[in-house]
Amino acid sequence: MSTAIAIVPLRNLCRVQKFLPLAASPPPWSLPLGRRTIYHGDYRRPGQTRDNRWPWQKINFDFSKGVEGIRKHFGLLKDEFVQRWKGPEGRPLLEIMLEQTRVLWDFRGPGSLENWIVSSDREIGGRSEAYLKLGRNSTTCLLYGTLCSVPPRDGETRYSGYCTMRSSQPKGSFDRKKHYDLSSFNTLHLRVRGDGRPWMINVGAETYFSHQKDDIYSYFLYTRGGPYWQDVKIPFSKFFLSSRGRIQDDQHSLWLDKVNTIGFTLGDKADGPFQLEIDFIGVCNDPAHNEDFAYEVYKRNPNV
Amino acid sequence: MNPYVIMILISSLGLGTTLTFASSHWLLAWMGLEINTLAILPLMAQQHHPRAVEATTKYFLTQATAAAMILFASTTNAWIMGQWDINQMSHPITTTLVMTALALKIGLAPMHFWLPEVLQGLELTTGLILSTWQKLAPFALIIQIAPNVNHSLLMTLGLLSTFIGGWGGLNQTQLRKIMAYSSIAHLGWMIIVLQTMPTLTLLALITYIFMTTSTFLMLKLNQTTKITTLSSAWTKTPLAATLLSLTLLSLGGLPPLTGFMPKWLILQELTKQHLPLTATIIAISALLSLYFYLRLCYAMTLTISPSTNNSSAPWRLKNTQSTLLLATSTVLATSLLPLTPTTLAMLL
Repeated sequence: MSTAIAIVPLRNLCRVQKFLPLAASPPPWSLPLGRRTIYHGDYRRPGQTRDNRWPWQKINFDFSKGVEGIRKHFGLLKDEFVQRWKGPEGRPLLEIMLEQTRVLWDFRGPGSLENWIVSSDREIGGRSEAYLKLGRNSTTCLLYGTLCSVPPRDGETRYSGYCTMRSSQPKGSFDRKKHYDLSSFNTLHLRVRGDGRPWMINVGAETYFSHQKDDIYSYFLYTRGGPYWQDVKIPFSKFFLSSRGRIQDDQHSLWLDKVNTIGFTLGDKADGPFQLEIDFIGVCNDPAHNEDFAYEVYKRNPNV
Repeated sequence: MNPYVIMILISSLGLGTTLTFASSHWLLAWMGLEINTLAILPLMAQQHHPRAVEATTKYFLTQATAAAMILFASTTNAWIMGQWDINQMSHPITTTLVMTALALKIGLAPMHFWLPEVLQGLELTTGLILSTWQKLAPFALIIQIAPNVNHSLLMTLGLLSTFIGGWGGLNQTQLRKIMAYSSIAHLGWMIIVLQTMPTLTLLALITYIFMTTSTFLMLKLNQTTKITTLSSAWTKTPLAATLLSLTLLSLGGLPPLTGFMPKWLILQELTKQHLPLTATIIAISALLSLYFYLRLCYAMTLTISPSTNNSSAPWRLKNTQSTLLLATSTVLATSLLPLTPTTLAMLL
């Protein structure tokens, strides 16, 4: 009797659930068990296809990939040591002291799109689409797609309809996080050609606490939509703090010495196609701009 | 902040340090250290910015860990040796543990990783208090337990700190991080001569406090926190820019400024103790620190017009900051070298 049970493969035990009245219930290990599983990606959003493979089936082991990885990371580590002799961030100090503009992202060549992550509300079960490709002559990037603000029918989402592209965090050797040090600059300079829609620029800075992981500094980008390019200069003092889409009461200015990501979001509740063409994203120093922060910082406990 | 609250916090800071100075029992000393830690936390989080709160949290966690280790070591020592006296701590395990804990408290390498990030998140005044006042109480304990600590541990801490303080500060453009690495390097110099002549440690600490006070107050006068804005400091107060460059060179240990005195005497003492290799290594590590001090002097004084810099020249408004402490500390930081014979006579 015991041997008969032992030879039944483990997978068959799961198949027993097919005969239960709740045939669509997921296996126990994929249920949302708590906040940790949400943070660590075990939670499955509606619309996301279920990945019911066993953990050993998800392994993608490749020896040549490993060797390439070792070569890449040790190369980056060696570069970091060598760069130290040149100056901060691998450039001479004089260059850092004198620079007044810097181009952060320049869309030339197919490799430039690898650092950008495009997503839309398809992840929560919506119907918007967003794609990113290189523009004409591989000199610009084009974010295009269709917005659809019909909310997904999961019973909990009320609003939907957004598309976004976000740069990935710069990584050093062994995938350690690096940051952009933009403290010598005070203005964001973009050259874009939009479609007349109001976009939102999101700058993500480095945070420490887990409740700050969705903290983003945002500002608006009103595009003109014409065939002419638009030069947009937004001082960093204008960026306001929001977390998970909600503007915070306790505002503070963006500290530029540890900037991680920049992104563009469209969520203007107007269904239909959209496109945004970006020539470059850079930062510059505007000596005439003296503002520290554009919004009032209210003292919340004035007696302390 | 409410002046009454500031008064309570600053007097608590003073109380904590005084308590540690006056204590001969480990528990009282630990209490003084804890009072110091807790009193400075509201001062650090005064600026309601997440980075300030991050700095406060990191500071609290490291200092609490160190305090817990001190308590554990002193309790273990009391269990093994049967007494709580600070200068009677002689068991090798407990002295090593206490030394490690105190090294974490002041930011000696390899327990230095918190210092640059914490200093970067603070305002200049709070950073000054952290770099100067908060080092006094742990040093009082370090000097008392020094004869019983493993010599190799002290040498390792000292050499590693001078090297890492120099290496880490090489590519910083933020002034507070540079001051953090400068602090680490100077602490290394202080620790290395601790067992042979503790009075030199005190001398190095006192001169370091003068020089750091002067530097921080000068940076506050110019409202600069980056090298790029430092380059326009000469337009605001040319004299202050000159004095700041002299203070930085003093931090680097160049004669005829004050900073040369402790370095010279420490190297002399190490040579007398037949440790020429150690002396050579720390002297060479000091060159790394000197490189970034010189770089700051270059940015400040050698980049005037017609070369452009990308920070706008500040308005020459009447300064409301009280400069008495700045003036005193700058004079002390630059012109104490002729007092070396007197210092030697007092030491010997």
